[in-house]
Amino acid sequence: MTFAIKVENLCKQYGVHNAVNGISFTVEQGTLFAFLGANGAGKSTTIEILCTLLKKSSGNVTINGFKLDVSNDNADIRKSIGVVFQQSLLDTRLTVRENILHRGRTYGLSKTQLAENYQFVSSYLHLDDIEKQKYGTLSGGQKRRADIARALIHRPTILFLDEPTTGLDPQTRQFVWQAIKQLQQETNMTVFLTTHYMEEAAVAHQVIVLKQGKIVAQGTPDALKTKYAYDSMALVFNNNIDGVKWLEDHEISYTVKQEIYTIRLDSTLQALLLLKKAEPLIASFEVIKGTMDDVFLHIMAEEGVA
Amino acid sequence: MEALISLVQRNSKVFRRDKTQVFFSLLSVIIVIVLYAVFLQKMQVDAIERITVATPELITMVNEWLVAGLLSMIAVTTTLGAYGIAIKDQETKAQADFLTAPLSRATIQMSYVLNALIIGSIFSFIALIGCEIFIVATGGKLLSLGHFVQVLGILFLSVLLASVFNLFLSLFVSTQNAFSTLGTIVGTVLGFLCGVYVPLGALPGFAQNLIMYFPISHTTVLLRNTFMESSITNVFKDVPASYVEDYKINFGIVYELQGNILSTSTSIIVIVGTILVLAIVSILLFKRKYK
Repeated sequence: MTFAIKVENLCKQYGVHNAVNGISFTVEQGTLFAFLGANGAGKSTTIEILCTLLKKSSGNVTINGFKLDVSNDNADIRKSIGVVFQQSLLDTRLTVRENILHRGRTYGLSKTQLAENYQFVSSYLHLDDIEKQKYGTLSGGQKRRADIARALIHRPTILFLDEPTTGLDPQTRQFVWQAIKQLQQETNMTVFLTTHYMEEAAVAHQVIVLKQGKIVAQGTPDALKTKYAYDSMALVFNNNIDGVKWLEDHEISYTVKQEIYTIRLDSTLQALLLLKKAEPLIASFEVIKGTMDDVFLHIMAEEGVA
Repeated sequence: MEALISLVQRNSKVFRRDKTQVFFSLLSVIIVIVLYAVFLQKMQVDAIERITVATPELITMVNEWLVAGLLSMIAVTTTLGAYGIAIKDQETKAQADFLTAPLSRATIQMSYVLNALIIGSIFSFIALIGCEIFIVATGGKLLSLGHFVQVLGILFLSVLLASVFNLFLSLFVSTQNAFSTLGTIVGTVLGFLCGVYVPLGALPGFAQNLIMYFPISHTTVLLRNTFMESSITNVFKDVPASYVEDYKINFGIVYELQGNILSTSTSIIVIVGTILVLAIVSILLFKRKYK
């Protein structure tokens, strides 16, 4: 197994405050890694350290085999990473093409290589229709496409995405994700993601949840859902009095909201058994799978935050 | 090197395409032109008429006096405007984007300095051509080739000094609001400190000393000397040397400090020395800021 990122006991202190408090994790090469946490959990601090923008207080970080060194510019690491920041940072008065090529030239690429790379990212992110437009005149989604293209212009092997789809409409979010996933699969790129959209984290290979600078949960989305989320079933009865009596007779706990009775399931299959038994009483039903939202809320509540 | 060139080109495009920024970096120069048209020219002509006959050459000489002041101011205001990009990059975190590329902070900072030098040089050159057209259009003569080359040399020194001076100032600023305030202060004070708004002789002693110790004003003195050399000879040909000397001192064409007239080489030493000192101090400040 090859690790794209290896973090050992990483700490970042601001005075007496521990923004990142001794976290350790590894990110396997070619995978999608989601880094979750409430605001102020230490996600951005960690990502800034990994991207060489912020000096760590202690601990070891290895990226693509290069050890992060606080005493130099970490050029080897920087050449192999691309970063999409939360904010749009390109120049508003330059065109998309100018923005990307100017930044591409800072990686020491030859003109031919730069042109090839531009064609490559342009084809994935459909830049043809916006490349001559000034960045400041673009819509939010178009700006994001340009931001991602800028991060990829030197063909990095690790892409850091810091809340890349915040504020985008669902259609644009879908487009952005399709492009990222396609790129990741076709180029075996490692994607390190922080997001507030749990459905984006649900497709990750590995998820870490951070709270107050510490890792409070980690694993695959399925493993986390198994541990922290549960499936449920929403029921609408023909007659509520009969329905409630049936639930109480079978000692099934429930919550009710607008005449919809929700019961917790041990597994999805348990729904079949219950439906067979209560079939004459039921007007309609819905089996609801546990989501990453449930995982996140459960972990935060368990730790006394939510 | 390719990275540095790319950054400089980017900085230059960003500055040139921001028309408001360009306008505001020239605002104090525009104010001087207005003041000159309204009363500065008349004030000076009236003063000279007391010691000699008014001739068309007199107007040319006074115009040259203005042009020299304008050119020294343009170097400062345009290079300061160019550093606005550095402050904006810092505040909007665009610098973070550059720092994810294999670039050092020193390279990024150097790109701002080189951009300021280029912007200052381009604007100074354009202004020089504009000033020459103005002088010819108002009845004067073009600079001789020798004087033109001399002016180019002084302008280069002037832009270099302004770039380092503004680099030093910008290192104390981290927000665009603060930078805008700095721009207003520099733009306002500069006209006085270069003896353009008010002639040197009209100011009290301490203010005169302040101007003479202000290194950038020495570029104004050098430019005035070069621009006005032949017209002073023509205008004051029948005037006693002591009157001419008084005029030169009062209108900041030469500096008299503690009874001694400062030579051209003294002004050049002041300028070059200031460039070196400010460059070293700025490097130390930069290193301390990003320790």
